Amino acid sequence: MTLLLIIFFLAAVLIINLPPKAFFKKIAFWLALFLLLLQLVFVFLPRSLWTGLNTLCSSNNFSMVQDSLSMVMLLSIAIVGLVALLVAKAHIKSENKLFNFVCLLLLCCIGMNGMVVVTDLFTLYLFLEIVAAAVYIMIVFEKNQNAYEGAFKYFILSAIATTLMLAGVGLTLSTVGALSFTALQIYFANTAQISAGATIGVLLFMAGLFIKSGLVPFHGWLPDAYQAAPNPVSILLAGIVTKSSGVYALVRLGMLGVLVPESLKTLLLAFGAATILIGALAALWQKDFKRMLAYSSISQVGYIVLSLGAGTLLGYAGAIFHMFNHAILKSLLFVNSAAVESRTGTRDMDAMGGFAAKMPWTGATSVIGALSISGIPPFSGFWSKLVIVIALWKAGLHYYAAFAILASLLTLSYMLYMQRKVFFGKLIEGYDDLREAGFLYILPSVILALITIGLGIGFPFIVGTMLMPVAIFNW
Amino acid sequence: MNGDLNQLFGLFLLFLSLLLIAGVYLITATRNLIRILIGMEIMTKAVTLLIIAAGYVTANIALAQSIVITLIIVEVVVLLVGAGIVVGVFMLTGDISVKALKNMRG
Repeated sequence: MTLLLIIFFLAAVLIINLPPKAFFKKIAFWLALFLLLLQLVFVFLPRSLWTGLNTLCSSNNFSMVQDSLSMVMLLSIAIVGLVALLVAKAHIKSENKLFNFVCLLLLCCIGMNGMVVVTDLFTLYLFLEIVAAAVYIMIVFEKNQNAYEGAFKYFILSAIATTLMLAGVGLTLSTVGALSFTALQIYFANTAQISAGATIGVLLFMAGLFIKSGLVPFHGWLPDAYQAAPNPVSILLAGIVTKSSGVYALVRLGMLGVLVPESLKTLLLAFGAATILIGALAALWQKDFKRMLAYSSISQVGYIVLSLGAGTLLGYAGAIFHMFNHAILKSLLFVNSAAVESRTGTRDMDAMGGFAAKMPWTGATSVIGALSISGIPPFSGFWSKLVIVIALWKAGLHYYAAFAILASLLTLSYMLYMQRKVFFGKLIEGYDDLREAGFLYILPSVILALITIGLGIGFPFIVGTMLMPVAIFNW
Repeated sequence: MNGDLNQLFGLFLLFLSLLLIAGVYLITATRNLIRILIGMEIMTKAVTLLIIAAGYVTANIALAQSIVITLIIVEVVVLLVGAGIVVGVFMLTGDISVKALKNMRG
């Protein structure tokens, strides 16, 4: 079944590049829309149907997981992919360019869907490179100098990251003798004296993932890439690409019990705390709307890693919930910035002010997104931060719990600063005939805002049925 | 792993670390985008050899071989995209030095 999600996307990419080109260029957008909606439907199918279909179409050589974590990731990929596709339809005017974007988006989806269902370290790397190769091209879509700069920085740091990851794979292979997740789980659970080779291997692999997820001090590429990319690509990058290619693998390694040694947990805690602080402080300085959101994204990834550092079931649940929330909220805020840019043609926050009066839908949804991401009840962002704080406190890490609470004040401060600059206050000169952004910007932002409100209000219902079981490892 | 094999693997690791350091040095020292790509290739070659050696010492050579063949293909695809970016930079600025890529700060 999960294999189908990869095969369908691959088949779609091949088919739309066949002749007659003119015909397929017209339907490419609708085909991608259909496939992503299909993925959304697939995720909500009952588990028994999944298992049934899986025996029909899986092969023994390419085993895959369909546990709840993979489901959450597939759901986020479908949602963010749809949002990026709709914004691309509005943002990219030329039919040829839209066609190219759709092809790259489908390739990216193949990579991400593959990455969240594979069961060994090397295949994980393989799909990660598929995503990366598609994303480099997407960043340089508009072929200006900033785009090349962002893409090349991402390219170099990714190359270093993949080298580290492969060195980790090699060392793990030389000590554990296999690369499948099951073998790693058994090795780390049953070996009394874990050898230095395996620990260093895991450390190197983690270092690669740290670069890929943009943790401080490896975050240099991230703001440049997010800022230089075209708006739909920024949504895709911030919402899901860095999450599934860096953070997902960290969560998976944690759930496998690979991060057992205390030193690894301390490492995660230290990196998480530094990332939250430095990302938030840097976000306060920014003048560019998208660059500010990029630094905010760095800071939120810090929360996810901090929660992983707790090393408990509740910690993993908090990390996964925050990852999902972040995918929803950061795409929402990037859609808002894209909507503002589509009408005003600028991203400089100093040249903005009072846009909420002229763009009521964009203004309202962006307030919801900003409040939710800074952890104000009753939105979903509040609950995920609460789970993270409780997990840290219960694990005995009281200072880190206090730090997480205080740092969310920083989040609130830069989000309110952004709101005050862009949407609140008096309308500045020269924007008297500003209109609300197009339907394709409003629709995704309203849907995403409804998701965060719904999750927040319905949280008591999902905590026992969906949230906690996600963190339990079963396949 | 017996003693002889272990010693051999240790020596091999030493050699691979040197290769890796050479790649990292090339990336950090040069200002030329093409040379940065070459440095990346050297680094990837070092880890490719490491995987082969790891497969040899754990008697897992079949797994290591299939991994390495896949790795080479993936690496070429990624390098192609990187070279495309360098060509784009050259067509835009007429320069293949890192200086062309220093707009964004902070």
